[in-house]
Amino acid sequence: MIAVLVIFAVIGVGLLAFGSRLGRGAFVVGALPPLAATVWVGGQLAGVTSGRAVEEHVGWVGGLRLAADLRLDGLAATMSLIVAGVGVLIFVYSAGYFSRDTPDLGRLAGLLVLFAGAMLVVVQADHALLLYTGWELTSITSYLLIGTDHTDRRARAAALHALLITGAGGLALLGGLVILGHEAGTYRLSEIIQHPPPASAAMIGALILVLVGAFTKSAQYPFHAWLPGAMAAPTPVSAYLHSATMVKAGVFLVARLAPAFAASGFWRPLVLTVGSATLVFGGLRALRQHDLKLLLAFGTVSQLGLLMVLVGAGTPASATAGWMLLVAHAAFKAALFMVVGMLDRYTGTRDIRHLPALGGGWRAVEIVSLAAAASMAGVPLGAGFVAKELAYGALHGGGFPGSGFVLLVAVAGSMLTAAYAVRFHWGAFVAPRRRATSAILAETPPFGFVAPSMFLAVSGVVLGVIPGVADGVAAASLSGFQTSAPVHLAFWHGFGVPLSLSLLALTGGAVLAVSDRIVQPLLAKGSVFPSGGEVFLALLRGLGAAAARVTAVVQSGSLPVYAGVILTTAAVVPATALVGAGDWPGWPQFGGAAEAPIAVALVITAVGATVVPRRFAAALFLGTTGYAMAGLFVLSGAPDLALTQAAIETLSTVVFVLVLRRLPDQFEVRDRPAWRVIPIAIALTVAATVFVFALVAAGYRIAPSVSTEMVARAVPDGHGQNVVNVILVDFRGWDTLGEISVLAVASIGAVALTRVGRRAAEAAGKPVGLRTDVVRRLPFVDVVVRVVFHVVLMTSLWLLFAGHNQPGGGFVGGLLAGSAITLRYIAGGIDEMRARSRFRPWTVLGVGVLLAAATAFVPVLVGADALTVGVATVNLPLVGTAKMSSALVFDTGVYLAVVGMVMMVYEAFGDEPVEAAP
Amino acid sequence: MNWLVPTPVVLPLIGAGVSILVGRSRLAQRVVGITVLSLLVAVAAVLVVVVDRDGPVVVEAGGWAAPMGITLIADRLAAVLVLVAEVTMLAVLIYAIGEPRTERNHVGFQSAYLVLAAGVAASFLTGDLFNLFVAFEMMLTASYVLLTLGGRHDQVRSGMTYIVISLIASTLFVTALALLYSATGTVNMAQLAQRIAELPNGVQTAFAVLLLVVFGIKAAIFPLFFWLPDSYPTAPSPITAVFAGILTKVGVYAIIRTQLVLFPDGARPATLLLATAAVTMVVGVLGALAQDDLKRILSFTIVSQIGYMVMGLGFFTTAGVAAVVYSLVHHIVVKTALFLIGGVIDHTSGTSRLSEVGDLVRTAPRLAAMFLIAALSLAGIPPLSGFISKYALVDAGVAAHHLPVVAVSLVVSLLTLFSMIRIWSAVFWSPAEQSAGDAGVRRPPAGSAPLAMMLPTVALVACSIAVAVAAGPIYAFSQRTARDLLDPSSYITAVTRP
Amino acid sequence: MTVTLAGVAAVLFGVGSYLLLQRTLSRIIIGLGLLTHGANILLITAGRRGRPALVGRGDPGTFADPLPQALALTAIVITFGVTSLLLALAYRSWLLTRDDEVQDDVIDRAVARHDAVEEEIADQRELVASEEAG
Repeated sequence: MIAVLVIFAVIGVGLLAFGSRLGRGAFVVGALPPLAATVWVGGQLAGVTSGRAVEEHVGWVGGLRLAADLRLDGLAATMSLIVAGVGVLIFVYSAGYFSRDTPDLGRLAGLLVLFAGAMLVVVQADHALLLYTGWELTSITSYLLIGTDHTDRRARAAALHALLITGAGGLALLGGLVILGHEAGTYRLSEIIQHPPPASAAMIGALILVLVGAFTKSAQYPFHAWLPGAMAAPTPVSAYLHSATMVKAGVFLVARLAPAFAASGFWRPLVLTVGSATLVFGGLRALRQHDLKLLLAFGTVSQLGLLMVLVGAGTPASATAGWMLLVAHAAFKAALFMVVGMLDRYTGTRDIRHLPALGGGWRAVEIVSLAAAASMAGVPLGAGFVAKELAYGALHGGGFPGSGFVLLVAVAGSMLTAAYAVRFHWGAFVAPRRRATSAILAETPPFGFVAPSMFLAVSGVVLGVIPGVADGVAAASLSGFQTSAPVHLAFWHGFGVPLSLSLLALTGGAVLAVSDRIVQPLLAKGSVFPSGGEVFLALLRGLGAAAARVTAVVQSGSLPVYAGVILTTAAVVPATALVGAGDWPGWPQFGGAAEAPIAVALVITAVGATVVPRRFAAALFLGTTGYAMAGLFVLSGAPDLALTQAAIETLSTVVFVLVLRRLPDQFEVRDRPAWRVIPIAIALTVAATVFVFALVAAGYRIAPSVSTEMVARAVPDGHGQNVVNVILVDFRGWDTLGEISVLAVASIGAVALTRVGRRAAEAAGKPVGLRTDVVRRLPFVDVVVRVVFHVVLMTSLWLLFAGHNQPGGGFVGGLLAGSAITLRYIAGGIDEMRARSRFRPWTVLGVGVLLAAATAFVPVLVGADALTVGVATVNLPLVGTAKMSSALVFDTGVYLAVVGMVMMVYEAFGDEPVEAAP
Repeated sequence: MNWLVPTPVVLPLIGAGVSILVGRSRLAQRVVGITVLSLLVAVAAVLVVVVDRDGPVVVEAGGWAAPMGITLIADRLAAVLVLVAEVTMLAVLIYAIGEPRTERNHVGFQSAYLVLAAGVAASFLTGDLFNLFVAFEMMLTASYVLLTLGGRHDQVRSGMTYIVISLIASTLFVTALALLYSATGTVNMAQLAQRIAELPNGVQTAFAVLLLVVFGIKAAIFPLFFWLPDSYPTAPSPITAVFAGILTKVGVYAIIRTQLVLFPDGARPATLLLATAAVTMVVGVLGALAQDDLKRILSFTIVSQIGYMVMGLGFFTTAGVAAVVYSLVHHIVVKTALFLIGGVIDHTSGTSRLSEVGDLVRTAPRLAAMFLIAALSLAGIPPLSGFISKYALVDAGVAAHHLPVVAVSLVVSLLTLFSMIRIWSAVFWSPAEQSAGDAGVRRPPAGSAPLAMMLPTVALVACSIAVAVAAGPIYAFSQRTARDLLDPSSYITAVTRP
Repeated sequence: MTVTLAGVAAVLFGVGSYLLLQRTLSRIIIGLGLLTHGANILLITAGRRGRPALVGRGDPGTFADPLPQALALTAIVITFGVTSLLLALAYRSWLLTRDDEVQDDVIDRAVARHDAVEEEIADQRELVASEEAG
């Protein structure tokens, strides 16, 4: 089985990829897989009919109980033969239907092959989720096939409609199957049917979901609306997918499950109601159509309703009738579609009001149409007649509540069927001849084009006359029932209720057809059922509206809103948890007097930075806050932190000023005062949460800090007295490594942003701005700066080397060097800097990063953990012996990276900008 | 085997340094970048094998035992994510070199990209919460640069949103760290796990949700995701692809890691997670339906897919977490592939507006096939990887009796299919129609994409198929991963070495 | 952690948040700066405060907890780097728009104006209508 399916996949994909070259030959290639499948299944029939189902299993995702379990029993074999057999005929027919110069025939053939393969998976799957897999693949291929003529908006719309409806059903099915799988403890359909899990709320839910899936796929009312739309597809596609095979998937699934679950209370009422409604609705609609293809489409809807009723009723007798109708319908409906296709192809219309009369060469086609229509109407000698007889018999036999009513509906439906069968044949062949006006079409279809429909019609008649040939398969298809009586299909059931009902239906249908003039207005007026299409449309509108509203609200596109929402969430959610906790560690001590002035300074400057309306003032306030922080750090015994903070505050204030000199002096505040309330509220919330959380967190501290050990091991193992620095370059050097890479990349970004288009401008020889001296050049300033510059640079180096033992280290050193450069900049401007410094900022930065990263990596190469510090005692002149640790090398890398970063910053902000076109 | 763990972080940094130095030669930069990432793919592959065979590999940076030093730990989750990340980043780098408007923007691109790679790997591999902050900063700062490289007006605008929001997140992260240290006196995750357990339950939950918010911003869950659809689409296509594929997943990773390692069962906000997941899924997909721009549609579907993963985590069962692990792998690959395809469309036809592109099924059938595979996979159509991910989550949810949220996820997957089909119908089926309105926005169509753009795209689509074909072993791996995650004791003992 | 410093941190967070909700990038940057200061206060007060942790200069028992200091230092430096990048962005924004105001996302606004999936709905309406007629 797998092998056969693989053939479908390979040839299908092959045709998609390379089929375009083959032209109509693609259909010949495409016919091969279904042919192979037909032969193979035919070969298995003997075994299957004698009750030995063919099984194959291939594992897929063991952990999820997903597997490819295939099982060919009677029902599967029947469907497989329909899918593969009709498939072969369709491919032959397509070769005649499409003209040589139609584009993308390869793609079409490939999709048809893939669809056929997917459909075989559906009918042969024994694993619920494998069935689902095939199910969804048929939906997708159907979508693509309906959209074959994708430049036509209507085709696209129809394809979308079909996909959404069947897709929704598919998800219902998935949900149902998963629950079913959990309830039954297995996904094996055969096992589930043998030992159905006990009824429960979950089971009812699961089965309803599965049924919804089946209803959508088999175009049951009110989900039917997609099927008529699907007629936008080329006729061969409609004949294959939308009458013979795919739309039967739902019926097939119900037929599979009915034996096990029909007895459960809700099943029959649901299935029989939906089926009956569909039966009648489809029939009424079909009677109104002038387009032969749409007539057949609604006819299919109606027939699917009857099928649903028969297989859903879940008695062996009704199932037998269902089986017969399944086969008969595949034969006559496909044949009729093929007839429409031929008419359409040669006359250019499908409208019974405009069809021309046909020449003698069309006799064969007319006979095919007659035979197929008769079978559809249930005229004796047609397979349809046998099916109807069985159906009436089964429903009359009863075996479940409400069978009488269903029987009446079935008869009524059959009247409608008979009526539109007449309407079809009469409208297609007889009426045009009667019309004096219509011209006679001389051109006739070649035999190869007609043959497939002939074959179907003939087989229909054969089945109608000697249905007994199929007894074995039919019986095997009932294997799901625990008690399977021997099945005997016969053309003649003797005089009795069924026969009389058949005759009643036929005569009723004839009357309806003849009295068309009276019927049409009634139909037009009294369309009793609201169409499902309207409902679908309403849902879609709702979805569109919801999407638009929700998105408009959520996605305001305004940063303040986003920031507000985030801050509020961050403050409120944890606070709720905290308050919910209730327990409170008790008050901690208030701050000592020493803190007070700093605290006051911080608050004042911070608030100052917030309220002042001028950019410069705000920036300076922020700077002051920074220095106040440095003060706080001193108080807290963090000299390194204080140094760093001070240095950085200086730098960033300078940078800030460099940028602000460009920007307008005043902030624009446009918001109405009312709007300022919200930010204030948010600010207060955040502040409150921080306050509480900080105290609570501190209050629960019991464990000692991990750093006590660090203090203990700083000198012996870290070779440094300044614990903070040892932590930075050694204990937590890994952080520092990341940190300098951040600096590097940030400065690259800054340069990139500020110098966009500069290179181009320079290349174009445009002036890229004047020299900017923040201080007018004065000789003595110059001298002073040079002296100070070198002193500061020296100091920075000293800090670097001393840092391991005294406050200092790579960062502080680098930042100090940075401020030296700042001096240089202030005195000389960027050009001066460029002129004086021997190194490009990029080089310094790169070397720094490289040095640090390499120091981290070397130990790895020699087998130690990354960043492990190596120590060597070296003999330096003058200084004498000194301990050189690789931490120092690392720290040097840090130093260089920081210096490079600062140089980059001036590279970025120092220049006059190149005017950019907004 | 210890060298395996730091290498994915240090090697790209060395590469970045070199790349800065050889800035004058674009070719040298490219050689460095591609070599480094190729090596990392190999390293990561070995790492996955080793970790899966011998359990977590622990490295103490500087040789300082936890909790003094910073512990690097590669468990199954970290290892597999590093592998997938490196593969996608390599593919995207090649793509970016081919794409005229990205790597050629600035000499800094390569070094920034390598720092991004280092940051991503560092985030996955670190066992230290403060170091996670540093790793995030490496990754984010690089992402700021890559997002704004080129300095176009819309880039600057969305760059502001992106950077400011990320900085808020970072500051919140520092705050959380400060509070955690204040309460426990450590930042080592293993030790935090032990000490948090001693805190009162309410405080535990407060910390859990605080960290959830911090990482939720990065992972783009409701109501913290608004920045994402505004900023991602404005970056050059390959950059958007990397952000979409990997950055959000780092956030998800951080959520998984912290929630599962740091907090005991009682403190985990399961209900909050499930509710958030449901809303995130719905709002994300509704947003996708409201858009008319290919990249924006894809960006919104990221959000709703993140919802799926949060849902899986919210079950707090082996099945749920395993499903999340598989989904992470699937989603990184497929989403990146989709954005690369989007980039090719943008490149070939000069715009990514649905209303302006069209008829590509005729002009670019191969591209159409690739999009269809990736899009259907995202929509969870069997037998593609997206289906396995979706089914695994649904299965876990049904097993955990969380039917409502499962129902939501199913409906959302239908809408996802709809959003993908809208793209298909507009871009590939409908005839191309020129909207004269904003011809200024539209660049001249390039007609065809260079091989350097197509090959990585094909490769990633192939990978997504492989993820489905090899779903058996991959999911088994995910299950083992989930078991480790739900029983952190192995993680903790691996770090603390009692 | 003392009540005073918790209060100061709270104030810094408050004013910082307030500035974050403004539209001018320079104010936002200042807000982020203040927010960071607040976070750093929380950080250094998260450990014991005391004399500088310089081994050999006094009794380690009186040392301030050096780890939070190291962490804070790292955080400060990182923030500086990113802030300068953000300033570069403000600079670029000024070059392009002569202002550093953060504008709303234009596409979001455009999307908010019209309904979603309009085209699809229109097509479906046509389709359903034609079926009702047929």
